[in-house]
Amino acid sequence: MIEFINVEKTYPNGTAALKNINLKIEQGEFVAVIGLSGAGKSTLIRCINRMHDITGGQLNVDDVDVSKLRGKQIRKFRRRIGMIFQSFNLVTRMSVIKNVLVSFVPDLPAWRKLTGFFTKEQKIKALEALDKVGILDKAYVRVDQLSGGQQQRVALARTLAQSPDIILADEPIASLDPVTAKMVMDDFKRINRELNISVIMNIHHVEIALEYADRIIGIRQGEIVFDGESGKVTRDILNDIYGGRTDEWKSSAEETPAHVR
Amino acid sequence: MTEVEKQLHASPRNYRYIAVVTLLVLVLFGWSLLVVNFRDVNAGGFKIALNILKGIVTPDPDLLFNVTKQSVLYLLAETVAIAFLGTIVGAVLSVPLAFLAASNLVPKPVSWLTRLLLIVIRTIPALVYGLIFIRVSGLGPFAGVLTIGLTSIGMLAKLYVDAIEELDTKVLESMTSIGCTTFEKIRYGIFPQLLSIFLSVTIYRFDMNMREASILGLVGAGGIGAPLIFAMNSYKWHQVGSLLIGLVVLILIIELISNKLRAKLVKG
Amino acid sequence: MYDKIFPPKKMVLPSGKVVLEKRSRTPLILLILIAATVLSVNFTGFSLPLLFTRIDKFFSLIGDMIPPKWSYMSALWNALFATLQMSLLGSVVGAVLAVPFAVLASSNIIRNKTVVAVFKIILSLLRTLPTLVTALIATFIFGLGPMAGVVAILLFTLSYVGKLLYEQIENAEMGSFEAMEAAGMTRVQAFRYAIMPQVFPGYLSTSLFCFEGNVRYAAILGYVGAGGVGLLINENLGWRDYPRVGMIILALIVTVYLIEAVSEHFRKRLI
Repeated sequence: MIEFINVEKTYPNGTAALKNINLKIEQGEFVAVIGLSGAGKSTLIRCINRMHDITGGQLNVDDVDVSKLRGKQIRKFRRRIGMIFQSFNLVTRMSVIKNVLVSFVPDLPAWRKLTGFFTKEQKIKALEALDKVGILDKAYVRVDQLSGGQQQRVALARTLAQSPDIILADEPIASLDPVTAKMVMDDFKRINRELNISVIMNIHHVEIALEYADRIIGIRQGEIVFDGESGKVTRDILNDIYGGRTDEWKSSAEETPAHVR
Repeated sequence: MTEVEKQLHASPRNYRYIAVVTLLVLVLFGWSLLVVNFRDVNAGGFKIALNILKGIVTPDPDLLFNVTKQSVLYLLAETVAIAFLGTIVGAVLSVPLAFLAASNLVPKPVSWLTRLLLIVIRTIPALVYGLIFIRVSGLGPFAGVLTIGLTSIGMLAKLYVDAIEELDTKVLESMTSIGCTTFEKIRYGIFPQLLSIFLSVTIYRFDMNMREASILGLVGAGGIGAPLIFAMNSYKWHQVGSLLIGLVVLILIIELISNKLRAKLVKG
Repeated sequence: MYDKIFPPKKMVLPSGKVVLEKRSRTPLILLILIAATVLSVNFTGFSLPLLFTRIDKFFSLIGDMIPPKWSYMSALWNALFATLQMSLLGSVVGAVLAVPFAVLASSNIIRNKTVVAVFKIILSLLRTLPTLVTALIATFIFGLGPMAGVVAILLFTLSYVGKLLYEQIENAEMGSFEAMEAAGMTRVQAFRYAIMPQVFPGYLSTSLFCFEGNVRYAAILGYVGAGGVGLLINENLGWRDYPRVGMIILALIVTVYLIEAVSEHFRKRLI
């Protein structure tokens, strides 16, 4: 269970990235965070696994105060939280299975860490994770030979191999075409349902957010302006979240003509 | 003005720049023509060229095929050995230098100093190294290995640094989120990216070192160069022919192998 | 074939699916590398202990070169200029001559397969001959002096730029070329307007890069009597006048550095 209590984050130059955040997310929920670019969606998510530090308030994950963790404890803490990125963040010259095996690295004894010899059990677990996202047949293929959608699924498999309780996703489908995006979202939904893993996703694609997430959190200028079931989201609420800038979540605005210079 | 005329006026004006540069190049070219002189070309010269060609088509088979210390085969093997070890020496020395010269890993003054050092190492002509190392390790192939080692540093370090500076650091972000220590991030995030590029660059350098190694014989540092110069000075064209053929064939073979290997590294 | 000797490992997943993992080639590669190293050490007489005991000679020689003999600089100018002239001339003429050779070696411009093959072989052969060897042969034909060096550099530049150029031509996008032929232009015209704009920046960039390297090579060519700074290096090393050698090297470093800086500047603009 993730709990934000009066959390705020202010940068040293005075900009407030997050203000007055109060949230409770139970285990197994599928939450989508929406809002304008720069509203604070990314910051909110990255505070959960302490990629960003909060400057005020308290943030608890399963009754552990996240800001009190130090050094090795942070690393141990992060093992339970998986993260998916917009740009996949894989090592493109390595094979798919080697990328998935990377998630086991912190648990290896020193000599295995140095040589890169993984145990058979770990290899089997990695292959199982690949099977769960449906790309088992590509296990020994080099990552740069896969399509964008397939690469994101490899990233998903890497996260699953960690056996996490929570998966954070920062714009996971932004680089994908609509068809592949739907496939990846189906994977998220299935993992959330079958394995009871909480999924907290940052997304600017409002229709998809409403279709897949159970709960929507709307952020505007660092504050939560909406927190409720996705079924309850109306056009007025969306206008509120996006501050009247409906052009942000509709198709992109027209470009003004310019003389080439 | 219409839209079209507006667009015409907005077009970039590069002509003056290109004209100036071309003029400069032409002036320099004219200056360099001063060095041309055909005075020393004697009729004997063309006869020699013909002789060399004749020597190539009728090589000395004895020299070419026997396996004593003087034979072409032995010399070629020695040349390969010099190039191979020299490349390894160069690679071992270049890796730390490359890391010290990478602007994304070390503070600016350190990288600038290292780059300066690399320029100095690169500019000293190979023959100077050769002659120096002969005083260190005596005549023979050992000096050749050391010379090739140092001359390789120039190219290897430069290309290694390019690879390091083009590292994809986004992978490190995901490794942080998995909970990896810095060592783990280097071993599993950075190392795999660099290894294949380093290997490819090193193999390419080995290819080029083959050519350099054959020349080193000219200073007595082993390889095929010395016998070649002796043969030419004694006008033994058949021997020259067989030496040249052996050399060219060897280099072609190595080039083929190295191209195949590097293609495999890129495609995996 | 490797898989026949070492069959792939079978891994069974809990869900019942079976995956075959090929055994890593790395052990074999490591074995070959170690064997090659051992053989090479034997052939060359490489000896680490010897290196460590005598390495101080290397540093003392370098030490003798610093400080360089500044007064020698005035005597150097001629040789330096000769070196520059040699490399400039050789590079320019070589680069210009590379164009027809490269075009004749491009399989997508010339339909005659034998012609293409012949020119590719010529370029390969020229590239294989070490520059010093060609310079050596050139001194026999053209006599001692910078002219031989020009010829050697010319041949090398021709092959280097030529090879890269024909690779670029073969990889060029042919759509516009075909469109122009279809519109009634001759092959030469279509080449000039469709292919040349594509490959020209790369060609200039490669030629500049080659020129950079040629300046350094030109310094060495003097050793075989092909003119330039190399002769002076050889002489002074022979007389053990190391401060002079240091001066020559310093002058070379400055020259090469300047040329590389200018060249980098222009090459960046081309890309």
